[in-house]
Amino acid sequence: MLELMVKYQDDLRRTLLIGGVILTILVFVALPTNVIQSGIRLSTPFVLGSLAALIASRAGVLNLAIEGKMLLGSFIAVAVLFQRDLDPAVGVLAATIAGGVLGLIFAILYLQIRVNLIILALALNLFVANATVFFMRTEFGVFGTLADPSIRGLPTYDLPIIKDLPFIGELISGYNGIVYISWMMVVAIWVLLRKTQFGRHIRAVGENKEAAETAGINVTRVQIFALTLSGMLAGFAGSFFSLGILSQFLENMTAGRGWIALTISLFALERPLPAFFTSLFFGFSEALSLDLQNSETVSFLPPDILLLMPQVAAIGALVLVALRIRGSELLKRRQFVAQFSKELGDLKRMVISPGQD
Amino acid sequence: MLKRLQIVGGHAAIPLFAVLLGLVVGSFFVFLAGANPIQVYDQLFCEGFGSRGCETFDDLLIVEAENDDGELETHFAPFYGERGHGMAIVLEKATPLILTALAATIAFKAGMFSIGMDGQLVLGALMAGFLGYWIPDQIYAATGVADFEAASSVMRTVMHIVVPTLAISAAMIVGAIYSWFAGFLKVKLNVNVLISTIILNAIAVQFVGYMINFPLRADFNNIARTRAIDDSAWLVPFTRGLFSEIEWFRGSRTGVGIIIALIAAFVIWFYLWRSTSGYEQRMTSGSSLFARFSGIATEKAALRAMLISGALSGLAGAIMILGVERRIVDGFASSGTGFDGVLVAILARESIAGIVLVAMFFAGLQQGAINLQFGDLPRQLGGIIIALIILFSAMENFFRETMSRIRHRIAPDAMTQTSDDAVPVESG
Amino acid sequence: MEETLAVEMRHVRKYFASSNVLAANDVDFEVRQGEVHALVGENGAGKTTLMNMLYGLVHPDHAEIYVYGEPVRISHPDHAIRLGIGMVHQHFKLVPSFTVAENIMLGIEPNQFGFINGKSEAEIVRELAQNFGLPVDPNARVSELSVGMQQRVEILKTLQRDARILILDEPTAVLTPQEVHELYNVIRRLADDGRAVILITHKLLEVKEVADRVSVMRRGKMIGTHDVADVTIRDMANMMVGREVILQVEKQPATPGDVVLKVENLLVAGMGGVPAVFGVSFDVRAGEIFGIAGVSGNGQTELIEAIAGLRPVDGGRIMLLDHDITDVNVRTRRTEGMAHIPEDRMTMGLNLQTNLDENVIVTSYQKPPFSSYGILNFQPMRELAARLAKKYQIASARVGEEIKTLSGGNLQKVVLARELEGEPKFIIANQPTRGVDVGSIEFVHKTLVEERDGGAAILLVSVELEEIMSLSDRIAVIFEGRIMAVLDAADATEEDLGILMAGGTLDKKE
Ligand SMILES: Nc1ncnc2c1ncn2[C@@H]1O[C@H](COP(=O)(O)OP(=O)(O)O)[C@@H](O)[C@H]1O
Ligand SMILES: [Mg+2]
Repeated sequence: MLELMVKYQDDLRRTLLIGGVILTILVFVALPTNVIQSGIRLSTPFVLGSLAALIASRAGVLNLAIEGKMLLGSFIAVAVLFQRDLDPAVGVLAATIAGGVLGLIFAILYLQIRVNLIILALALNLFVANATVFFMRTEFGVFGTLADPSIRGLPTYDLPIIKDLPFIGELISGYNGIVYISWMMVVAIWVLLRKTQFGRHIRAVGENKEAAETAGINVTRVQIFALTLSGMLAGFAGSFFSLGILSQFLENMTAGRGWIALTISLFALERPLPAFFTSLFFGFSEALSLDLQNSETVSFLPPDILLLMPQVAAIGALVLVALRIRGSELLKRRQFVAQFSKELGDLKRMVISPGQD
Repeated sequence: MLKRLQIVGGHAAIPLFAVLLGLVVGSFFVFLAGANPIQVYDQLFCEGFGSRGCETFDDLLIVEAENDDGELETHFAPFYGERGHGMAIVLEKATPLILTALAATIAFKAGMFSIGMDGQLVLGALMAGFLGYWIPDQIYAATGVADFEAASSVMRTVMHIVVPTLAISAAMIVGAIYSWFAGFLKVKLNVNVLISTIILNAIAVQFVGYMINFPLRADFNNIARTRAIDDSAWLVPFTRGLFSEIEWFRGSRTGVGIIIALIAAFVIWFYLWRSTSGYEQRMTSGSSLFARFSGIATEKAALRAMLISGALSGLAGAIMILGVERRIVDGFASSGTGFDGVLVAILARESIAGIVLVAMFFAGLQQGAINLQFGDLPRQLGGIIIALIILFSAMENFFRETMSRIRHRIAPDAMTQTSDDAVPVESG
Repeated sequence: MEETLAVEMRHVRKYFASSNVLAANDVDFEVRQGEVHALVGENGAGKTTLMNMLYGLVHPDHAEIYVYGEPVRISHPDHAIRLGIGMVHQHFKLVPSFTVAENIMLGIEPNQFGFINGKSEAEIVRELAQNFGLPVDPNARVSELSVGMQQRVEILKTLQRDARILILDEPTAVLTPQEVHELYNVIRRLADDGRAVILITHKLLEVKEVADRVSVMRRGKMIGTHDVADVTIRDMANMMVGREVILQVEKQPATPGDVVLKVENLLVAGMGGVPAVFGVSFDVRAGEIFGIAGVSGNGQTELIEAIAGLRPVDGGRIMLLDHDITDVNVRTRRTEGMAHIPEDRMTMGLNLQTNLDENVIVTSYQKPPFSSYGILNFQPMRELAARLAKKYQIASARVGEEIKTLSGGNLQKVVLARELEGEPKFIIANQPTRGVDVGSIEFVHKTLVEERDGGAAILLVSVELEEIMSLSDRIAVIFEGRIMAVLDAADATEEDLGILMAGGTLDKKE
């Protein structure tokens, strides 16, 4: 089994890919248009959140504070607009900046003050979860929901030309700006990591910090940049909850989606494109689950179970990756024994066979 | 003895410092909210830990309260239970914190950075919540008795022992298995425990949410919830049972759970520091290479720790349901009690006595803040302070290094190693 | 003719608070242009630390550093690189998933507006490799290169940054003899170009062979700098350890008894399944010390781990006192009389996180009197610890305190005390004196000989040829995972062993 896996590693990868494509096509064919649209919308924070997680991981820092940074983003976005009658884009911008600032603080505490990474992240999450509600009460005097008529949601845009395409048109057009930007970010992060100097430095730092350091790269600076960028992405993602779907902030609005974003990044082996597709999968699951919950008909597929699938797949992926490493080691050892037995056999024959001059 | 005290003092110094710093920085938020920090803290601690009549910090020890005749009487506050005592509620809230913190500690002390308590806890709770009515159902169906009220007193006694025992055991087993799975992945496949437990938490929370909303949903109440457990499964609080006479417990749902938690704390302490199995897992966490080299079955030790850890989390969940909540309501799964336990364990730094103290401290802060809410400050103040305390306590190395740098600058040659003899390092 | 010095370091001081070690104590050090300058010293003498300070990786508490006469403060490798300093570390610092070119150009990528030009990158590296006569494939992945190749990449990395001062930290420790020779040639060539090459090593033969001058460090102090031509190997050794070196261990001829350990056709794979031990066979008798000599990394670690039960065996078998222990766990091996003094006492031999008591009972805690019914008994533990501390003169840490404050020599004594308690029949001693002070070295050697005389079978592994020759009764030489020959210690000469260690064969007829 292991050997087969190793031997057909490439095939396996291809099979998975083809499976993914087939699944995607099935989703598009089988699901009603409105579910697909809401799936794409709901996947947006996952896309941005998983990019935030992977850019930090790539720089060698497991960012367990994505949840807190997202939550802060969604709060700030609304708090800034509250009774000010500003353009919602200002809220999004403020959320992005707030996420970045929190990311910067996180980076400094971790890299300069050397606070334990995990404790730091857990403490930050706890802090944000409480502080947002605290200020909701003390600054705005409200319970549970922060809303105001002056807060407008983000407008949606139709993409010219594309929107007129048959079938596809209505699926990939008609969203708000964050959705489009999230798609661009996927490409941008991919380009950043693969094609630019800074991206290469991030990868070097993440993979072998000392190598980067001795090559003259300022590791701390690279990690601070990466964590700040990660925070900005997370804050940006957060603003989508409060301005992209609704136009209000709710207590604990992210509800664990930051953690899911992190698992998406892990599942995607910290690569942007796989992270994008995994996020879509999560988005569709969530949309479908909502749809099923609202529909009157009893379905044979329980909606929440659908939400479980990607997480189970994430565990499966961890196991697969581990098995692959184990498998290749096992295979090498078998080959070694086989080769040596042959060699030993040859030696014996030489001893037995009459000497040649 | 003095030396021991010194050592204990040394261990407690940083956490205490962190608590102080947390409160100081926390007062900044109180300011922002336009209140007086000193007043607020007085009230916070009184609400959390105090008795009736507690108004200032001093009242936590000696309190003056009016008696029925309107005269002022002086009481030793911790024992003054008239109309209930804050500490009774602290005990109730601290119970799951103690258990999950023990769970975290025992995993950490085997070198497994598991934060899977949350998932194990909610699964345990689900199991206990379900069996809490399902087992009695079966018994009633088999015996033809209508319900608990209708049963004979013998049957009631028997059921009152059997049903909770079964439910709790099942919860512990579920928690243990779930935790073991993460341990297995680590031991056999070297899958990062932190990551696998994060995902397993998400799965468990999602799954329990689903179970509450669908298969186990009891009624069409606005908020989804399961059926209430049967009275036979109920771990009756002290106020309704054992100590119904004692005023001190009034208003709290503290029950046998806290006793179980304290016994668990002792057992875990004994296991870790006095048993060979505990020794094995501690050696494994210190240096797993060393343990393996010496002939210790490290994988077994780690898996055993994960099993115990999961069982404790499951136990915490079971006690929350059987002793306090009596049914699972939507939102229970995502409330993150297991995470709080991890935080308690972190702040207590592997000390069992520390866990009990920290858990009670957290519980009191949270409870105090909840009561404070009726004033003008949101209860989230408690959470903010706790987050700050944890953050500061994690800055230990920074504080220590700064200290040692200062000391080194003052007397640079006093601590350098020049001979081959052992040079004891100054312990802070 | 006074040429400016390439490097001049004055009054360098560095104290490590975390390990409580003064790694550099008022050290002076200078290197001329165009010379190969050897920096020698025992393990832990502070050589790496000193060079890390020159390279900006470690920051001195105090130092005056001049590079080509200019006073400098080097805060980061980036700065060192700009000053023309390059360093090849003991443990290579490469990014495994990157290609050769990506590694070499790391940090100095040819780019336009931050976008890397991959093609010109490979071109630059190809040209560089050609210029210096160090051919590499720019597009090969580093994780797939041999150790020697990786070192070449490291050297090219410094050359691409135009290093005029090149630091090589123990570069030969991991190389095969052929590779070592190639490296010598490269070093000479670079020095002849006018570069200053600093060669860190603790192999004195190497110094004689390539270096022009030599500086000796001992326990954080600079002992002196000499022209290599003016000093003998023995002089250098004496400077290194600080007194006349007595490497001759006093011992009677062995009286070998029955075979205790028998290894037959052992096949063992190393990390990641890479073959490490190829069909090794030998036996060790009661009352003898059987030494295994070889350059580090030739399968010794894997061989010992397999015998000790820490690594699965892929083929062949291991017999201990006529029991097949090939697939038996560590505990059983130990109950059958095996003791193990490991290569790495910090992570394998001891648990530095706990106290002396818990460290000395780790092989016997499950038995009475240390435990009964699964419960530990502290009194016997404490008594044993106290007794061993006395017997082995272990400067004990404060009661109940973690043992990490003990010095290397004392730590090794703790290991020795525990392992030799209970009269083991078979003792594995893997690099038993590595990083240990001279006094403790003698103690360890004496103890091992006593054990031998008491009838134990001892398997000694060491990369120090002198240790092997002075202690062993029989010597096996391991090369690339194979035993090249087994010699009687009495007949073995340093030359013969050297040839065998380099993979050659002895032709007896000559
Ligand atoms: N980063 C560090 N922290 C604490 N101690 C260190 C550190 N680096 C080296 N040391 C200590 O400094 C001493 C010198 O080490 P090193 O320079 O590596 O010696 P060498 O290279 O000569 O073998 C050793 O005792 C070592 O334990
Ligand atoms: Mg060194």
